[in-house]
Order: sequence, then C-alpha cells, then structure tokens
Amino acid sequence: MRCALVLLLAFASAPASAGQCYTVNAASGSVSFSVDQAGAPFQGSFRSFGGTVCVDGDAVTRIDVWLDPASVDSGLPELDAALKGADFFATDKYPRVTFTSASVQSRGDLRQAEGTLEIKGTRRQIGIPFRLAGAAVKRTVSGAFTLNRLDYAIGTGEWSNTKWLGAEVKVEFKAALVGH
Amino acid sequence: MTRWRNSQDRYGIIAQGFHWLVAALVLAQFALGLYAADLPLSLARLQWLSRHKALGLGVLALVLLRLGWRALDRAPALPDSMPAWERRAARATHRLLYALLVLAALAGWLYASAAGLSVDWFGLFRVPDLVAKNAQLAMLFKDAHKALVALFALLLLVHVGAALRHVRLTRDGVMYRMLPWNPAGKR
Repeated sequence: MRCALVLLLAFASAPASAGQCYTVNAASGSVSFSVDQAGAPFQGSFRSFGGTVCVDGDAVTRIDVWLDPASVDSGLPELDAALKGADFFATDKYPRVTFTSASVQSRGDLRQAEGTLEIKGTRRQIGIPFRLAGAAVKRTVSGAFTLNRLDYAIGTGEWSNTKWLGAEVKVEFKAALVGH
Repeated sequence: MTRWRNSQDRYGIIAQGFHWLVAALVLAQFALGLYAADLPLSLARLQWLSRHKALGLGVLALVLLRLGWRALDRAPALPDSMPAWERRAARATHRLLYALLVLAALAGWLYASAAGLSVDWFGLFRVPDLVAKNAQLAMLFKDAHKALVALFALLLLVHVGAALRHVRLTRDGVMYRMLPWNPAGKR
C-alpha cells in the first residue's frame, strides 16, 4: 500500500520530457518597473505574480508566467487607482499580463527567452534576458528588460504624451523557484 | 537715487531685487500649488505640480542667496520713531518669514522625494532626492508642507498689513525703503 503511494507520487510529479518544473514564488521576489515622469525616473512594483519554469538538465524548456496588474503598488494610492483604469491596464477587462516562451537560448550565464508577452489584450513577440542561479531545489530567476508602453496601449489619451510620461518602461524581476 | 547696496535709510537695488523677485515667485507658487493640488490625477496635474516643484526649488536657492546677501549687506535700521515693541515685532516677523520660506520649500522637497516623484529642474538637471521613497513619510511631509505654507501665508498677511500701516497710519516712510522709486516729498 505504502509502496503504491510512493510510486503514484513519483509518476505524478515527473511529467515526461519537461524535466523538473518549478513554481515562481512571489513572496520572495519582486517585479518592479521604472518610467520617467516629468523627466525623472519613477518606480513602482507589482505584488501579485507567479507561473511555472521548467528545466531539463541545463536547458530551460518552458516559461509560463503571469502578473496581476491590479496588484500595482506605486506608493501613491491615487496613481494605483489610475493605473488600474481604462487609460492604463484596464484591469477589469484585462486582469492578467502573461508571458509564454517559445524558445529559450543559453549564452553562458545569460539566457534569452523568446516568446509572447500579452498586456491589455495586445500580444507581441519579445526577447527577455534572464539568469538562473542555484541548483536543484534552490533556484532563483532574475532579469531586466525594457518595453515601450505605447506598444501595449498603456497610457492612452493625454497619457500618450511621452515628454511627461516616458515611453520606455524598464522592468526588473527576481524570484525564487520552488520545486514541485 | 537708489544704490546697489543698502544705505542707512533705504534698501539697495540688490536687496530690493531679491525681495520683489521672491515675492512674485512666492505668489506664483501659491497659485500653482493651490490650483494643482485640487486637480484630479491627470496630465495637467503632473505638469503643474512639476513646475511648482521646480519653481519652489528655485525660490529656495534664491532665498538662500538672499540670506547670504543680507549677511553681507546690513538692512537699514528702523526709524527711532517706531516704539521698541514694534521694532522687535518687525525683526521677529522678518526672521520667521525667512525661516518659513526655507522650511516650506524643504518640506515640499522632502515630500516629492518620499513620494518617489523626483524633480528634473526644467529639463536642465536632476535634483537629488533628500530621502528614499516611503509612503508614510510622504504623507507626513505633505502635511508639514501644507502647515508651513499656511503659517507663511498668515505671517505674510501680517507683513503686508504692517507695511501698509506704515503708509496709511504712521506715515514714517518705512515701506518706501523697499520700493525702487522714491515717491516725491515722502521718506
């Protein structure tokens, strides 16, 4: 009986070719952004994010991550409310930002995930450089990339004025990966 | 004839320039701040508050220069016709006005820093932040900025009232010492 249970668990946790899959642990990580306001950088972050990263040997085989834009924390409650509104993330209609990898290249320490980023209903192919540190059960993922907010209609109407609200948004992420 | 430096009974061109330039900019700051603070979150609010912050830092620099100049160029003495308590009140009011100008601007700078809304000075350079971003501190500095500005406004009324009193009631020419022209027959 006990033997059968162990066997069952072993099968359930080892899906064929994907290797080992990990869950992104938001509690130990952060996703922050920086965008120029009136010429000076302004920082904020998203509290709620997660996803799955699968590794086979040294290769990353799958990245499937998401983020709740409604969890935005800019430190200014009024601004948070605006960021959830129709001019920015329209979180009522588009509650999730997602990134799904199509391929992941490895260049020494640095890796590059090519995939689809979907924000506010707009899907675009982008490359995200990142690093994978640690091994076995203690792994962390981190990286940074820049996107143009106007590509995803983040900040429409008067907020499309890039002199006062920069077009470039720098995103930084890091999180621990928890093995299944 | 107004000279560059203060004389015994008149402020010089430089002291007068500082006084009226700061006065004009401070009035503009009241208008900008009061207008922008009541706007809903919008591009206009970002624009006007950014100008308010940059201008406020300009006023702070100007006031510090002015205090430096004041240390070099002594203010003309108040006339003997003024009772001692009036002279003391005048000196105290002037000192407090200077102190509040500096403190209100500093509180505004601290507020902007703590809110994470750093200042780019009219596109010329980045103004350093005084403290790291902190939402609780931002609320505290916001209240401090408003309280100091309110106190300054109150004291400004006393200052203007006293100046006008020198024109209309005591007629001792004290206000004319700060005017660039010399009204005929008046001192």
